[in-house]
Amino acid sequence: MQMLCAALAAVTLALPQRDNIHQGQGRGQGQGQGSGDTTFAVQSGARLDVNNFGGEIVVKTWNQNSVQVRSSHSSRSQVNVSATGSTVLVRTEGRRGPPSIVDLDITVPTWMGMTLSGTYTDISVDGAGGSVTAESVQGDIAVTGGTGNVALKSVEGGVTLAKTRGRIEVNSVQGDISIEEASGDITVETVNGDITLTRIDAANVEVNTVDGEVLYDGSIKPGGSYRLGTHDGDITVVIPPGTSVSGSLSTFDGDWDASFAVDTLRVARHRFTFAIGRGGNSARLELETFSGNIKLRRPGEVDLESRKHKNSGHSHNDRDNDNEQYN
Amino acid sequence: MPRQVLEDTLTADSIAADTALAASGDPSAFERLYRSHVARVHTLVRRMLDADEADDVTQDVFIRAWQKLSTFRGESAFGTWLHRLAVNVVLARRKRVGVERGRFLTEDGPLDGVTGRRETPELSLDFEEALARLPAGARQVFVLHDVEGYRHDEIARMLGVVPGTSKSQLHHARMALRRHLDR
Amino acid sequence: MNDQWTNRLSEYLDGELDNEERVALEAHLATCGSCYATLAELRQVVARAQSLADSSPSTDLWPDIRARLTPSRRAAVDRPDRLVRRRFSLTVGQLLAASIVLALLSAGGMWIGLRSTKPTVTANQNVTSPPPDYTLASAGRWRTSTDAAVTELEEALARNQGQLDTATVRVLRQNLAVIDRAIAQAQRALKRDPGSNYLNLHLANTMRQKIELLRRANALAAGQS
Repeated sequence: MQMLCAALAAVTLALPQRDNIHQGQGRGQGQGQGSGDTTFAVQSGARLDVNNFGGEIVVKTWNQNSVQVRSSHSSRSQVNVSATGSTVLVRTEGRRGPPSIVDLDITVPTWMGMTLSGTYTDISVDGAGGSVTAESVQGDIAVTGGTGNVALKSVEGGVTLAKTRGRIEVNSVQGDISIEEASGDITVETVNGDITLTRIDAANVEVNTVDGEVLYDGSIKPGGSYRLGTHDGDITVVIPPGTSVSGSLSTFDGDWDASFAVDTLRVARHRFTFAIGRGGNSARLELETFSGNIKLRRPGEVDLESRKHKNSGHSHNDRDNDNEQYN
Repeated sequence: MPRQVLEDTLTADSIAADTALAASGDPSAFERLYRSHVARVHTLVRRMLDADEADDVTQDVFIRAWQKLSTFRGESAFGTWLHRLAVNVVLARRKRVGVERGRFLTEDGPLDGVTGRRETPELSLDFEEALARLPAGARQVFVLHDVEGYRHDEIARMLGVVPGTSKSQLHHARMALRRHLDR
Repeated sequence: MNDQWTNRLSEYLDGELDNEERVALEAHLATCGSCYATLAELRQVVARAQSLADSSPSTDLWPDIRARLTPSRRAAVDRPDRLVRRRFSLTVGQLLAASIVLALLSAGGMWIGLRSTKPTVTANQNVTSPPPDYTLASAGRWRTSTDAAVTELEEALARNQGQLDTATVRVLRQNLAVIDRAIAQAQRALKRDPGSNYLNLHLANTMRQKIELLRRANALAAGQS
């Protein structure tokens, strides 16, 4: 917050203090459709803040220092774009009563950080170069890009994240989480859903689900810490040859197996302490499930494609029904 | 899950401190190490050798640990180090008391050994008792492999046999013990 | 039963057959109930071996060991103040470990409400953090305070769930049920094996997830007025 205030002095937005871009009656299908399209310049350091109660927030990036906001919605809603300090605010509201569905299509400079939120809202971001915070209650979140803090949360909805670096936090309650090609520190938690992390470059990874499978396929760095847990589901970890790693494998009702030699140092009840490879500064790997199996594999041995298909079949998005409900 | 870190760290911390204190000659620190590790060592010894030797050999293990503590560098956990040391003491003992290699190699009827040795109807034996009545070779391989988690190549090296022998002894032991799953 | 195959079952169980042998044995297993049953028994033997408990000797061996300890070479140069310092550093180490864990817990444990940062209930925020002297003995105490927090948050959610739409309440309830099932399973397992560190910690972690979900549900209810 303080940093934002400091940046604020140096930045002024080329934007009127209150620029309502809502356009009047449309002629679209069904009941009156509205649409809006406005473009304005922003100076470096500005941040995008969007709240959309229901519908879609789609953010793309370009190499221009300007923001374009396009919207489509019924005549009962309106979209307000305004600026507070260095923040561009996009808000949707109903003219009477609760807001209805609005689809927002926003293009921002690549460097722009953003905070996107909604309730019945699908959020997608493509090519972000700054920090990304996205929160929805019922809706999927899909982000590619993002640096610095990347925090994605949904309650009922899947979350996918790709090509990201920084401090990554992803939460859902009911929904699968998938992260691909990411580097930094990663914390992931869901209750009912699978967690799939592939092509990861991270030294600190913490993953928890209650009912779901966990896959980690990425780097295991010297001195790194990797903790993956589920209650009901398998845990699969890919360990590249030459990796030096030790830790524990715990399962109550399941087994563990590795496709290569693992040194089991101590076998307690349901908990195995193990070591793989030799080296001074080995990584720490803690895997814990209750009624699932633990699988240690070499790169290439896990069929990622079939897992992806399986995951996409789990999609919790039923947006179409919501549209009817709230229009 | 972080509770695990805490618990492990605290336990490891106090054991590491006691190890350092014991290495510098503090008998009460060493007593704490003894108290927290004696069950592990005694059980290992009892399973590997005969029950009546277990007390003596356990004492030997701890005395040897006290003497060698100054060479413990803390690269592994104290428990791991002590465990290895206990295994070595047991193996040395095994050679000394004449659990000779020849017997180990020719003794491939552990199934008969269990059923034939005593009058007790075999089904009334609990798992530990059945394990204790296996012939020494099969019992040691079983304990090292299935209980302690060593691999066949390591066991073969420790016991001075070929891995194939270790594997077949293990299989015989398991086949004998499946009749005594006491649950 | 076919001895040719039976003798390979242990190796199969241990993953020591090569691919060709494994495939052949699996093909045989699919056709031979006796081998299949033997394999299951062998698996149980292995599981039993891994669950064998350690037991202490029936007599205390320490007095005899103590009598045989000779002073080590370094003992003479070790002065009491050095020991005191070591003890002190241990305490610092413990505190440090505890604080790291507290930080980890609160980092993992803080859910920020979607539309509001004001939670309806300010249940003790530290409740998911075990006390610094966390041991198995104190796990019971910790669980009691966790139970209290869960009750408090559940009551708050019952009062406020009218603020949430039906679909969201349904999802939250379903997922609380998923967690409750997991908790019940862990508790049942723990009854059979009360000393298990792993089960105690697993239960604690699952309880933490329940508290986080309840907190988040309450924060949602607070934000959606």
